Amino acid sequence: MNGNNGNNNNGLSQSGETCIDVRGLWKIFGHDSEKILSSDACNSSKETILGETGSVLALRDVSFEVNQGELFVIMGLSGSGKSTLIRCILRLIEPTEGEIIISGEDICGYDNKQLMELRRNTTGMIFQYFGLFPHRTVLDNVAYGLKVKGVGKEERYARAREVIEKVGLKEWESYFPSALSGGMQQRVGIARALANDPEVLLMDEPFSGLDPLIRRQMQDELIAIQAEVQKTILFVTHDLDEALKLGSRIAIMRDGEIIQIGTPEEVITAPSDDYVREFVQDASPAKVVTAKSIMEQPRVLLYEWQGPKTALALMRSNRLDDAFVVTRTGGLQGMVTIEGLVRLIRNKGNFLHEALEPDLPVSTADMVLEDLFPLAVSTRYPIAVVDEKGKFMGYVHTGTILGSMIQEKVEEEKEMGEDEEKEEGEVQKDEKMEVRTKDIKDIEEETRIDA
Amino acid sequence: MLEFPASVSLPLAQWVDAIMSWILVNWGVFFDAIGSGILFGLLHIERFLLWLPWVVVVLLVGVVAWRVMRKWWLGLLMAAFFVLIGSLGYWDLSMMTLAIIIAAVIISLAIGIPTGILMARSNAAESILKPILDAMQTMPSFVYLIPALMLFGLGKVPAVFATIIYAVPPVIRLTDVGIRQVSPNVVEAAEAFGSSARQTLFEVQLPLAMPSIMVGVNQTTMMALAMVVIASMIGARGLGLEVLLAINRIEVGRGFAAGLCIVLLAIVIDRVTHALAAKQEQATLT
Repeated sequence: MNGNNGNNNNGLSQSGETCIDVRGLWKIFGHDSEKILSSDACNSSKETILGETGSVLALRDVSFEVNQGELFVIMGLSGSGKSTLIRCILRLIEPTEGEIIISGEDICGYDNKQLMELRRNTTGMIFQYFGLFPHRTVLDNVAYGLKVKGVGKEERYARAREVIEKVGLKEWESYFPSALSGGMQQRVGIARALANDPEVLLMDEPFSGLDPLIRRQMQDELIAIQAEVQKTILFVTHDLDEALKLGSRIAIMRDGEIIQIGTPEEVITAPSDDYVREFVQDASPAKVVTAKSIMEQPRVLLYEWQGPKTALALMRSNRLDDAFVVTRTGGLQGMVTIEGLVRLIRNKGNFLHEALEPDLPVSTADMVLEDLFPLAVSTRYPIAVVDEKGKFMGYVHTGTILGSMIQEKVEEEKEMGEDEEKEEGEVQKDEKMEVRTKDIKDIEEETRIDA
Repeated sequence: MLEFPASVSLPLAQWVDAIMSWILVNWGVFFDAIGSGILFGLLHIERFLLWLPWVVVVLLVGVVAWRVMRKWWLGLLMAAFFVLIGSLGYWDLSMMTLAIIIAAVIISLAIGIPTGILMARSNAAESILKPILDAMQTMPSFVYLIPALMLFGLGKVPAVFATIIYAVPPVIRLTDVGIRQVSPNVVEAAEAFGSSARQTLFEVQLPLAMPSIMVGVNQTTMMALAMVVIASMIGARGLGLEVLLAINRIEVGRGFAAGLCIVLLAIVIDRVTHALAAKQEQATLT
């Protein structure tokens, strides 16, 4: 699983500067869109507006900001207005009202020429149906943006070849798009967008048309490319797993409105209303909840210069069986147990690092539950959490991990039980539940003993 | 009671006459200028075709047919058709007919393709032009001879003019259809990368509409050939005139020979332009 990589890379690369700022964006398809906007009618529901005026409300007062280098995901079902939104940002569809500020300028005030310059130099777009030019070779497709800009033949081919190599299609540059598979065609699409070296990439469901295996692979590649080129990406999708995997932040849309903006974890753990809750209930927390969010701080932290007897005393007074040892700068050195310390003292050892337990499980802060699980089952120690420099941040009980995985299973089965076994008595169901919760308690207790 | 009341009459014929004579009086100079322009071009094409040695023409036809149809025996067959035309004694007349067709097709394309582009880009233009094109194609072709005759008098120029009017609709229609058929995804992509309207047209829409446009060229050419025969009634010399004379004199043999030449010419032109269209289609699909 690479979900954690995605979140982290994008999170770290943000410089905090706003790149795209959308304020109060409205789009109404129909003849008297202006009139509807200025009247009270715009406050009524999408259906009412359609019924009364025959106009279709596509976007209602949409506002959000995308930071420099961020991968911002807009998620919604079909008809939620997400594709209209991403097209409005390039004015491929004219917004009815609102401001779109890209790099400090409101592009809604742009004339045709300025708009053309914006599309040529600042943005690059990738489409669900690829939108490749069937009469041009891969090389000419990728070089198209540069050709339109007026870049000379040799220069644009050189640049195009560079990007084609980056997306791994080097041998295919002289083929026509129809000779390529779907995944390869979308790589051409990505290369075409990258060739202009734009600040902003707009991606409209780029992987929706691909089969699941290729889709996952392309997502991973996008993460890798993003780590390298550091673009600001606006990514539209209807796939929650994709949104959670790629997005540093997610905006959820319904009926033309944004109903929640937040990090993947916020969306999963605190859905803003029933719609979002319904949306995210299929998503497994195992893919989103990170080590950082469930780790605990130890009551006692040992330092490398402390002697074994001090350590033993500290642990006894806190009733601990084990404790983590860190260096002067806070770097994780390892873990000692009571038995290890007693053995050390008996052998007249003087240094804690002689008593460190081997094979200590270590996790990074952004590892998700799903990845922590195999660690948890293979060890009897708590899992140490460190940052990217190896600094100790906290620890996670294996019991917490196993418990949350099982909790999830119980909930799933409970739902199934409700669906399929309606005719069975309530008592029976309660019994079942009791047995399960007992199981969990047992497991938790076992692990606590370990810890 | 059973007859249509004579008092409810629409003097359409008189109106059209009035318009025609008004045009003749006020726009005579304009049409004269067009007429001499067409004549100038036409005569040069005709002189060139007649100047070319027949062997060169036959070879040219053979090679071109072979190249576009990619079969050597088809090239040979097409060349043989031209030899047959010559051996029937109609070489010069065939070249004259060919010259009128070429002139009419060139002008038809020059008018038709831009009109088709206009139609594809504006729904208003399409809704105005479509019924006009329908009317042009359902009108009996003889009808076009009358205004042509009035505007340009007897001879080759009115023949070219009538041929253009008759032959131009298919290329307009198929240019329009071809451009409108280009996938909106592709056009959107072109726009998203900052193409100007002109760049979108020339870099994306026209190349992708090419197969359809080539079918239009093929149809326009075939209709021009059909019309040229009829246009001989207003004095265009050529194969049509031979058929007309044969009818008047009831000379079956002569009519058959001239008719055969027209058919042979039609086959060669049709096969070559058709193969060109097919080739275009293949090129955009690979």
